Amino acid sequence: MTTALRDLIANPTAAELELVARYGMLPEDARRERAFLAFAKGGLPHRRVEGWRWSDIKAALGAIETPPQVNAVDPISPSGAIHFAFTPTGFTWPETLPEGLRMLAKPEALAFGGSEDMPLGALAAALSGGGRKPATLLIEVSGKDLPPVHICYSGAGEANFARIQFVLRPGAELALSESCLGGAGFTGTLVEFLLQEGAKLRRTVYQRGSTSEVVAMTASAELEAGAEFTQTTLTFGAKLARLETHVTHQKTGAKATLNAAYLCAAGFHADITTHVRHGAPACVTRQLTKGAVLDGGRGVFQGKFFVPRTAGQKTDADMQHNALLLEDGAEVFAKPELEIYADDVECAHGNTSGALDANQLFYMRQRGIGEAEARALLTEAFIAEALEEAGELEAVLRDEARAFLQKA
Amino acid sequence: MRLEQRGDAPFLPQGLSLAASPAYMRPMLKIDNLTATVGEAEDAKEIIRGLTLGVPAGEVHAIMGPNGAGKSTLSYVLTGREGYEVTGGSATLNGEDILEMEPEARAAKGLFLSFQYPVEIPGVPVMTFVRTAMNSQRKRRGEPEISAPDFIKKSREVAAKLKLDAEMLKRPVNVGFSGGEKKRLEIYQMMMLEPNFLILDETDSGLDIDALKTVAEGVNTLRSPERGMLVITHYQRLLDYIKPDKVHIMAAGRIVKTGGPELAHRLEAEGYEGILGEAV
Repeated sequence: MTTALRDLIANPTAAELELVARYGMLPEDARRERAFLAFAKGGLPHRRVEGWRWSDIKAALGAIETPPQVNAVDPISPSGAIHFAFTPTGFTWPETLPEGLRMLAKPEALAFGGSEDMPLGALAAALSGGGRKPATLLIEVSGKDLPPVHICYSGAGEANFARIQFVLRPGAELALSESCLGGAGFTGTLVEFLLQEGAKLRRTVYQRGSTSEVVAMTASAELEAGAEFTQTTLTFGAKLARLETHVTHQKTGAKATLNAAYLCAAGFHADITTHVRHGAPACVTRQLTKGAVLDGGRGVFQGKFFVPRTAGQKTDADMQHNALLLEDGAEVFAKPELEIYADDVECAHGNTSGALDANQLFYMRQRGIGEAEARALLTEAFIAEALEEAGELEAVLRDEARAFLQKA
Repeated sequence: MRLEQRGDAPFLPQGLSLAASPAYMRPMLKIDNLTATVGEAEDAKEIIRGLTLGVPAGEVHAIMGPNGAGKSTLSYVLTGREGYEVTGGSATLNGEDILEMEPEARAAKGLFLSFQYPVEIPGVPVMTFVRTAMNSQRKRRGEPEISAPDFIKKSREVAAKLKLDAEMLKRPVNVGFSGGEKKRLEIYQMMMLEPNFLILDETDSGLDIDALKTVAEGVNTLRSPERGMLVITHYQRLLDYIKPDKVHIMAAGRIVKTGGPELAHRLEAEGYEGILGEAV
C-alpha cells in the first residue's frame, strides 16, 4: 500500500486499513475515488458520531476476516421471480429479461449524492465491483405486470459489496425483494431508487447474519409526483446490522411506507435507521417499526422526518415504533425525531417499549397454552402488523418470525 | 347444620371422614382451609382466609358476596395467576393437588375460568387461539391433536348453537367485541374445550338481559353429571337463569354461610348486611 493511500484515514484500525487496501486494488475511477474519500473522511462510524451512538461499527468491525461458515438458506422465493445474486466472488443474473426490464452491469462507479449522510453507502459505492461484479448494476423498469425481482447477497469471504440503481419510469410498477444472508465478515449494500411520476415499488428486505459479521444495508429513494414506495423490512440482526433508508419526497403527492420488524436474540444487534425528507407539498409517509428483543440482544430505531418550511406544507406523516423487551437484559434504543418548519402539516409519532402484557399471558395460559408458546404467539401477533404491507411475501416473513420466536 | 340428600360431604363438620362416602358424593373441586395473599412480599395482603368449599361433579354452586370479599381472588388462586400466593391449605381437582401446577397444566386437567373481563389479544384470530389451546391441552394429556377439518366441523357446530357469526371467529380474540360478544366467546371456548370444571367469574357483568339469557343458556347446556361449576356473582339475577344447587356467601376471605337457592333470594331481599349480621 502506498503511503498516500495509508494516510486516507487518520489512525486507522485493522479493518479500515483492509478497506483502504481493497480500494487500492480496484481500477482507478474518479467517482469511486470521490465516494471513498467521503467515507475516509470519518472512517468507520463510531459511537461518538451522531447517528451511530448505539451502533458502533468501528468497534464491532475490529478486523475484516472470514467468519465461521454458516450455510444460510434464502427463505424468500417469490413465485416466478427474476433472480440476481451477489457473492464475494461474483455476480449472477438471468440471461434474458422480460420486456419492461433492462439491465446494465456497469464496470464504473456512478456518482453517489448521499455520501455525506450515508458513510457506509459511500463505502459500498467505492468498493463494489471488481472481478465478476459490476461496480454499479443499473436496472430500468418501464412496465407494469412484471415478474418480481429478487436479489440475494450472500456467501463466505472477508467482504462483499454491491451497488444497484433502479429507475422506475413513469407509471412503472415492481415488486422487489432482497435477502441479505451475510456469510462474509463485512457485507455492504447500496441500493438507490428513482421513482418517476406515478411509479410504484414494493420493496421487501430480509436480513439475517451471524454474530461474527457486520452488515450495512443502505438504501435511498427519490419519489416524484404521485410515486409510491412501500418498504417492509424483517431483520434478525448480526453482530451488528445497520439497515438505513433515506427517502426524499421530491414532488407533490408522493407516498412512502416504511415498515420494519426486528427480532434480536443474544449477541445480535439490529439497527433500523430512516430519514424522510418532505421536500414537496402534500406528500404522505407512514412508518411502523416493531421490535422484540431477548436477553443479550440489542435493537436500535432511529427515525427522522424533516419537513422544510415552504416545500413541506400539507405533509401527512406518522411514525410509530413499538418494542417488546422479552427478557431482562434485552436492550432497545430509540430516537424518533420530527423536525418540522412548515406550519400546515399533520405529523405524529409514537414510541413505546415494554414487556408482554401479563393479562394476555395469563388468559392464554388459562386456556391451556404453555407459557413459551403463549409468549411466542403474542410476540408474533405484535410484530405481524409491521409485515402487513409485504404483499405476497407477508406469509413467508411471518413464518420466519414465528420460527425464530418458537425457538426463542 | 342440616344435611341434604346429596353432595353434602364437603360440608361435613371438620374431623368427619369422607372415606366412606361413595365416589359421586366426593367433591370434584375440594378447597380446604385455603389462605392466600396478593402482592409482593412486604405489601402482601391476605385476601383468602381459611376458605373451605367442595363442589361435587354434576353440581352448580354459586359464590356470592360483597365487594372485596375475595371472590375474584379465589378464582385467580385456583387457576394459578401470578401475583397470588397460597400461604396455607389445599385445593384439589379430582383428588389432584392443583396449587403446585402451572396455569396451563390446570387447564389441561380441565379447569376453565370464564373471565369477568375477557382479555383482548390483538393479532391472534379466535380460531387460531382456540385450536392452539385445544391442542396444547391434548398434548399435555398425551392425546392426539385435533385435525384441522375436525376442528372446523366442531367449531361450526358450536358457533351454530351459540348463534355466533363465523366472521367473528376469524377476528382477533375479543378485539372490538361488545361486552355480550366477549361473554359469548367465553362460552364458545368452554364448549370447544369441554372442561371438567368451570369457574364463572361475574359472568353477568356488562350484560343486558338478552345477552345474559343467551350466555346462561350456553352455560346450562354444559351442565352434566361429569362436570362441576362454580358461579361467582354479585347479584341474584344470574342465578335466575343458571340455577345453582347450592349458594355460598363469601365475606372477608371465607365462606360464612351455605344454603340452597333460596339463600340467594333472601340475599336479594335482605342484603348482605342482614345476612352477614346473622352469620357472624
